[in-house]
Amino acid sequence: MSKRIIARKLAVTGLAVLMTLSLTGCGVGDPNDDIIITEEIEEKTVNLFSPMEKTDPDAENIARSAFDKTIAIAEEKLGVNVAYRTYTAEDYQDKTYDDVTLDRARNNMDDLYLLNPDTVQKLGEEGELLDLSDLACVKNLREVVKTANTVNGKLVAVPQEVVAYGLFINKDMFDKYKLELPETPEEFLECCRVFKENGIETPIGANRWWLETFVFAQAFADIYNGGDTEAEIAKLNSGESKYSDYMRPGFEFLQELIDKGYIDAKKAYVSEAIEGEGADFLAQKTPIVMAYWGAANTETAYGNPGFNLQVIGFPSSLGQMPVVTLTGFGIGAQAEHLQDAKDMLDMILSDEALQVYTETNKVISPSKNVEVDCIPALKPLNDRIEEDVYVLASNAGLKLEQWGNTCLVVRELLNGATVDECMVQFDKLQEETLDK
Amino acid sequence: MKKNQIRSRKDRGIPLLVSIIIVFGMLAVIVFSVARKLSAEMSSSAIQNLSESLNLIQCTIEAILKNEADFQKLIAQRIAASEDPKEYICVYERNETMVKLSLIMDGETEGISNDGSKFTEDELDFSAGGKVDDLPISRSYLNYMGTWAYTMKCPVVKDGEEIGTLYIEYVYDFLDESLPNGFYNNKALLYIMDAQSERLVLKPKGMGERSAGHLNLEDYYHANDIQETELRAKVDKCLKKGDNILFYHDIRDKQSLNYMWSVNGGTIYLIGYVPVEAIQQEGRTVNQNIIIVVSVMMIAFFLCCLLYYFNQRQQNRIRKEREAEREQHNKQLAEALQAAQLASNSKTMFLSNMSHDIRTPMNAVLGFTALLGMEADNPAKVREYTKKITASGQHLLSLINDVLDVSKIESGKVVLNFEKFTLNDLVSSVDAIIRPMADNRKQSFHVEVTGIKHEYLMGDETRINQILINLLSNAVKYTQEGGNIWFRIIGLKQRSSQFEHIRIEVEDDGYGMTPEYLKTIFDAFTRAENSTTNKVQGTGLGMAITKNIVELMGGTIDVASEVDKGSIFKVELELRIPDDQTDEQFWQENGISRILVVDSAQEECENIRALMEDVGVTVDIVSDFESAVGIMQDNGKEYYQIILLDWRAKVADIPIVVRKIREFIADAAPILFLAPHDAEGMETALEIEHTEVLSKPFFVSALKEIILEMQRETKEETVPEEEECSSLEGLHFLAAEDNEINAEILTEILEMEGASCEVAENGKLALERFKQAAEGEFDAILMDVQMPVMNGYDATKAIRALERNDAAKIPIIAMTANAFAEDEKDALDAGMDVHMAKPIDVELLKKIIHKYVLGKE
Repeated sequence: MSKRIIARKLAVTGLAVLMTLSLTGCGVGDPNDDIIITEEIEEKTVNLFSPMEKTDPDAENIARSAFDKTIAIAEEKLGVNVAYRTYTAEDYQDKTYDDVTLDRARNNMDDLYLLNPDTVQKLGEEGELLDLSDLACVKNLREVVKTANTVNGKLVAVPQEVVAYGLFINKDMFDKYKLELPETPEEFLECCRVFKENGIETPIGANRWWLETFVFAQAFADIYNGGDTEAEIAKLNSGESKYSDYMRPGFEFLQELIDKGYIDAKKAYVSEAIEGEGADFLAQKTPIVMAYWGAANTETAYGNPGFNLQVIGFPSSLGQMPVVTLTGFGIGAQAEHLQDAKDMLDMILSDEALQVYTETNKVISPSKNVEVDCIPALKPLNDRIEEDVYVLASNAGLKLEQWGNTCLVVRELLNGATVDECMVQFDKLQEETLDK
Repeated sequence: MKKNQIRSRKDRGIPLLVSIIIVFGMLAVIVFSVARKLSAEMSSSAIQNLSESLNLIQCTIEAILKNEADFQKLIAQRIAASEDPKEYICVYERNETMVKLSLIMDGETEGISNDGSKFTEDELDFSAGGKVDDLPISRSYLNYMGTWAYTMKCPVVKDGEEIGTLYIEYVYDFLDESLPNGFYNNKALLYIMDAQSERLVLKPKGMGERSAGHLNLEDYYHANDIQETELRAKVDKCLKKGDNILFYHDIRDKQSLNYMWSVNGGTIYLIGYVPVEAIQQEGRTVNQNIIIVVSVMMIAFFLCCLLYYFNQRQQNRIRKEREAEREQHNKQLAEALQAAQLASNSKTMFLSNMSHDIRTPMNAVLGFTALLGMEADNPAKVREYTKKITASGQHLLSLINDVLDVSKIESGKVVLNFEKFTLNDLVSSVDAIIRPMADNRKQSFHVEVTGIKHEYLMGDETRINQILINLLSNAVKYTQEGGNIWFRIIGLKQRSSQFEHIRIEVEDDGYGMTPEYLKTIFDAFTRAENSTTNKVQGTGLGMAITKNIVELMGGTIDVASEVDKGSIFKVELELRIPDDQTDEQFWQENGISRILVVDSAQEECENIRALMEDVGVTVDIVSDFESAVGIMQDNGKEYYQIILLDWRAKVADIPIVVRKIREFIADAAPILFLAPHDAEGMETALEIEHTEVLSKPFFVSALKEIILEMQRETKEETVPEEEECSSLEGLHFLAAEDNEINAEILTEILEMEGASCEVAENGKLALERFKQAAEGEFDAILMDVQMPVMNGYDATKAIRALERNDAAKIPIIAMTANAFAEDEKDALDAGMDVHMAKPIDVELLKKIIHKYVLGKE
């Protein structure tokens, strides 16, 4: 058959198909469809309260997208819709997220809450949070996770990641001044001195939230690494040991940093996390900031710096010390959609969901069964954690809540209080707690 | 014409294309404007639609606020009416709308809330002056429940006197219940904003995108990249005035309609955006459908165009093919016409020449015949005239033969007859013909044969002869008297061991030819000059015939010539060497193994050596007679069996030379003188016994023949001379001849020879006559071929088929004007014994009759 004949046949077939399509397109619908009845579809909803980030246009927040992925898995499997309720303080004068969380939890405003460690402890003490021990996912959790979130024998919160805080170092700047990465507080001070002398006005970028990590590293390095942890905690809970004794070196260290101008106390006092110090760090004006693990993976934080980023532990007598805290999900004891919330939580904490979360965020998973490689910048910090060298910044087993209280006391230091005054404050807090 | 056609086709094509483009352009403009109009209408209706939706939400919220205000007034009245207003407050339990009730009595700065806690107005900000149904409404704030709330205050009036102020706190979450569930298919985003603080106080659940989560207006701008100062200034102005505003701005790369919709006189705002594609969903669907319809139409149109195009192309191709065919045809016709005209011209010229050439001898024949009639009594004159008539007749015959030859060659009927022949015979016969002609014109004719290794060759001797005679007779003709003609046969290097490669050169120092003539020399029907004025006569076909024959033999012919200096023709041929070339046996039998050649011409000697070595005879060469004597002395009498002595090498009279030689060789050993044809004094040599003259050029076969002859002379008595074959006395022939004159001539000739002849007018009559004849009545039948009723072939076949004893035996001699080789073959095939071409050559006829009838050679 010649090409011409084939072409002609194709053309005729094409026309036929077009005509058929056109005729089909002219068809009319069923004339009996005049009556339209709509049915109300009952939707199962779980209200979730979580912090809201001030978003940049076009920026991907992988922390939230990782969380969203797990939520999407749960929504699909359970047929439950998650309604987001969020809050973020506009400025330092505004109510903090924690304040609002407490208010909302106490007033049963939501079902699921994303809680900072201090809030976990407070709400746990108040009995506002449901005991999660019977969730299926609990059996997979690392012991440290369970310990840190157990209040009065109840497991009141479970995190999606183990949050490790560290020092974010601009390695290029350290190399420029031929500085080794500091291990001890003394070495750290020396580094700051060199930077300062070389015209870097404030070598440490700080905010009003995370300076306490320096304190924890120095205070609890011995307790959690080689010391008799339980006995020491028992002494603190009984009042036999004083909090202030543990906290003093760290506060004195911070005082020195402030006094020598390595930290701008006034600015830090009013700065929100990352918002205050992040720009200078990324612009390589500041060589050191502190932040949580995930910030190294997050574009909105330090995920894509234009320099060699290294994340190390905080200086301590035992060398670089990661500070671990656990931000967890809790369920209101009086939650309106209690069962759905439990199912939801169980699902987003399942190994399957955690695998997705951990892979997306490249973080340390609370599940024993989930492990992924971390990015190179996080390797120094990860190596220490792998060696089981870290301090807990929050421990629900301690009667005096550390994370929130220490943060507040550090703010006082930033606001001009002396170390002694701060220590008095700790003594008072310990006393009040023990009195309860 | 062709160009015009193409142009007219183009002329047709361009307006067509332009019209199509115009039609399409118009269609595109119409479709575009319809789509645009539709889009604009859809857009405005979408804006209207969005405005209506926002109005609806606004009204709903305002209605709720109004209800709240009304209810608050009612409570204030109840409180006024109650005995203990504070107690009234304390017993109130919060519901989802009113989450806190507080009362400050007039004149006090601190009041009490329904939860029993103290209450002051300090934390509330009524400075913006917003009101709901005359009740002041506070700036939005985060309440004790961690959610956004507002408070309205209402005076508590008792008996016309204000006794306190009632504060009721409402939460925005309540409004959420009344808002639409899903706005523009969840593609739109809707916030409630407190106008004074610009905080986003409600993000209704289930609305908007999960990744949004905005804090305040500034954050909304930031998140959605609304940074244009001018635009923001306009929006701010509207916000301050409490106006509604809609504006287009891309949100995450999607064109969106942003809105700020005032509620409650501008105390709160509905803000958000709707992607344009969500608003114009219906419009887009319509546009898509229009595009589909247009596309389908376009495709259909293009398909039609395509079909039309292919159809046109096919027709064009067919037309072109036909045109090409016609052109080809015309061209062929023109060529044929031209060829025919050329041929016609040539033939006309030829006929004109022929007319002249034939008339001339014919004139002589007729003229002399007339003279013969008058001078019949004078035998001397008669003899002279008949001689001239014969010469003219011969000339006529040669003319006719040439013409016939050409027509035969042209019609491809020439068949070469390959047979074994010797160069010796060839050269001798040519020499025999040409030399007298050259002598007549006092020209020197030189024959040279060099480098030939084999003299026995296979080929059509007659045709080669024809070539040579043609070339040489031309040379004689076109060379002035006393000129020179050279005839050379040169053996070239063999290309194959089976073929002798020879070159024949015919050179003269005659008139020569002009370059123009050289170009056409081998064409038929041309002559060096127009024959009517030419000194020499001929058909002009000779060279064409020569060339054709040469080419037929696979050879080449070249010519070089210069006017008044002469010409040289070179013919190269490759002739097959016969398998039984060498004739060694003869030489061995005769005990000839060594020859002495005495010759000063080195080339000739080498030629002799080469030829003799081929037959196994050793040749010794000496350059002079003295050396010859010396060498013969050294080698004894039997050493040389033959002595070849060049004519020029003899130093004394032949008898002396012969005697001297005889001293050293056997008595019977031949002494041969190699001499050119024109050598003088050879008679002396012939008289001496065992001495002969061998003509140059040297050929083995010639040597062999002469030796044989000398042997015969020695061995045999002189053979009596062959009997004259003139007598046909007593023979009786049957002649089939339709032409009366021919019949008469034949009868006369036979009768002159003493034979009788009976003529039958055609084959049939001859056959019948033969049937009736007694056995042995006729000695032979002379059969013409072309005859009416029955031709010679059929008659012969019929005779041969007769059941008579002599039917098969009686000699039948074809006597016909059909003189070609194939005619001879046909005659023999038909059963005739021999073929004889007309005109009748008496001697030949007698020879044939002797051979076939009397059985004599």
